[in-house]
Amino acid sequence: MKAGVPALETRQLVYAVDGKVILKGIDLRVEYGEVVGIMGASGSGKTTLLKCLCGLLKPTSGEVWVEGVNIAPLSERERMPLRLRLGIVFQDAALFDYLTVYENVAFGVERHRKLSREQVRQIVRERLAWVGLEGVEHLYPSQLSGGMRKRVGLARALAMDPHIVLFDEPTSGLDPVNAYQVDRLIVRLNRELNLTAVVVSHDVVSLMRTCSRIVMIEAGQIIAEGTPETIRQLEHPQVRAFLRMASSETLDDVPWLGYNIGQEAQV
Amino acid sequence: MREELVWLDEESPRARNAVQASLEFVGALGVLLFASIRGLFSGRLEWRETLHQMAFIGAASAPIVALTSAFTGAVVTLYSASLFVEVGGGNFVGGALAVAMFRELAPILTGIMVTARCGSAIAAQLGTMKITEQIDALRALAVSPIQYLVIPRVLASLVMFPMLGMIANFAGIVGGWVVADAFGIGLSSFLQSIRLLAEPFDLIGGLIKTLVFALIVSLVSAQQGLAARGGAVGVGRATTRAVVLSMVLIFAANYFLADLLFAKR
Ligand SMILES: Nc1ncnc2c1ncn2[C@@H]1O[C@H](COP(=O)(O)OP(=O)(O)OP(=O)(O)O)[C@@H](O)[C@H]1O
Ligand SMILES: [Mg+2]
Repeated sequence: MKAGVPALETRQLVYAVDGKVILKGIDLRVEYGEVVGIMGASGSGKTTLLKCLCGLLKPTSGEVWVEGVNIAPLSERERMPLRLRLGIVFQDAALFDYLTVYENVAFGVERHRKLSREQVRQIVRERLAWVGLEGVEHLYPSQLSGGMRKRVGLARALAMDPHIVLFDEPTSGLDPVNAYQVDRLIVRLNRELNLTAVVVSHDVVSLMRTCSRIVMIEAGQIIAEGTPETIRQLEHPQVRAFLRMASSETLDDVPWLGYNIGQEAQV
Repeated sequence: MREELVWLDEESPRARNAVQASLEFVGALGVLLFASIRGLFSGRLEWRETLHQMAFIGAASAPIVALTSAFTGAVVTLYSASLFVEVGGGNFVGGALAVAMFRELAPILTGIMVTARCGSAIAAQLGTMKITEQIDALRALAVSPIQYLVIPRVLASLVMFPMLGMIANFAGIVGGWVVADAFGIGLSSFLQSIRLLAEPFDLIGGLIKTLVFALIVSLVSAQQGLAARGGAVGVGRATTRAVVLSMVLIFAANYFLADLLFAKR
């Protein structure tokens, strides 16, 4: 890693599909060693942004810099080596459904690292232990619960020892205990292995406790950015509504923003 | 050549008419063929997946290919024997059947049966992997879907199709002989007539055909699967199209190959 070069950077990133503009000029910068949270409503373009960052989607225009290389104009083949250093955890886990948990986690390691079978086994066991899964190596994804699948997806991405990981809603669908453990894992990886992480979520609590910086996007645009503290104190109406609804324990103290029924007041 | 053009259909605007769609399809096939050849020589071969596909495409298809060929050989003999025996040409029956099997029936039957059995399965599997993001997951783990999924299927097809063709030849002749026997044509005259009328090149040319069919089925099915989009309906559409397009291309290729290999001018 070169001094001054950010781990990830996008410049005026635009992504459109089927004539619909999903990302409308995103300027994002992620430094090495940061944990950046991306917060936003459902459909705001978070997953699309992550897929552009790791080169799974090709931007319509703009630049995507990964470790000092603009990957936007590169072909699929040219992007391949880069993915060894960059992991992504998919929102729906995207496990290989014809392979066991063990084979899923071992998949990348077996292909890209010259390790003995015993070493691979060691890595798989360790990564599965990280996400609190033991004794499920021989099961197929269809035999797991949604939350377990999600954590296998996490283990699979971490098995390759990437130094940047993009997490697409790592805690959604997990019970509070497991969500807490996954958040702790991300923070520990960051502190102990200097992992750079981008965490997409609409779980405000989880983002607040894991991230050093939070970016809020809405309808494909960044509308606010800052440390968890500054985000919490921001006067921005959308951000405020998002945070208040996330932490509200009753249903009537929050001004109505969407789902217009009858003539309830818009804020 | 950008191999992602095969599956990143987001990048190209949807084809607006049949001509554009056909050109896009041919283009995608060409890209896939090129990328597969390049990957075969530059990347590592997925041995386990290739063997797996050989078992699926080859071994598991053998019974159905044998069965359909046997019945086809039988029905051809049924017609030819009743004609030939009437005019006193009973000792042409075996040879006529052999030439028909070697040149036409065995390759075509192999192509059709494997398309129905495996082309559909390839398209459905790859299509499901596409829409459930498993293709993306492969790419994210720096494994090329072409290297891991397409090349093993193409290779397995190329190896297994000629073998299936041989099985079809053998089964067709056996099926024909059973019927010939019922018409009172003895085994020795049946075999004698094969030796007399069929040439080695009938056999070789037929096997060359199966190689072309292997390429058609595996590439078309893989391409349709990788380009699938739009949920379960999309996978269904990809599967149907894989089968229909493979069959049409097989029959078209069969004509030109017949002209090239067997037409005497
Ligand atoms: N392939 C596609 N074709 C058309 N529209 C798409 C496609 N992919 C995404 N979209 C649209 O882009 C928008 C953003 O999608 P995206 O998946 O990035 O949202 P998200 O922020 O991750 O939402 P969620 O929190 O629900 O996962 C959505 O409105 C979606 O309808
Ligand atoms: Mg999403």
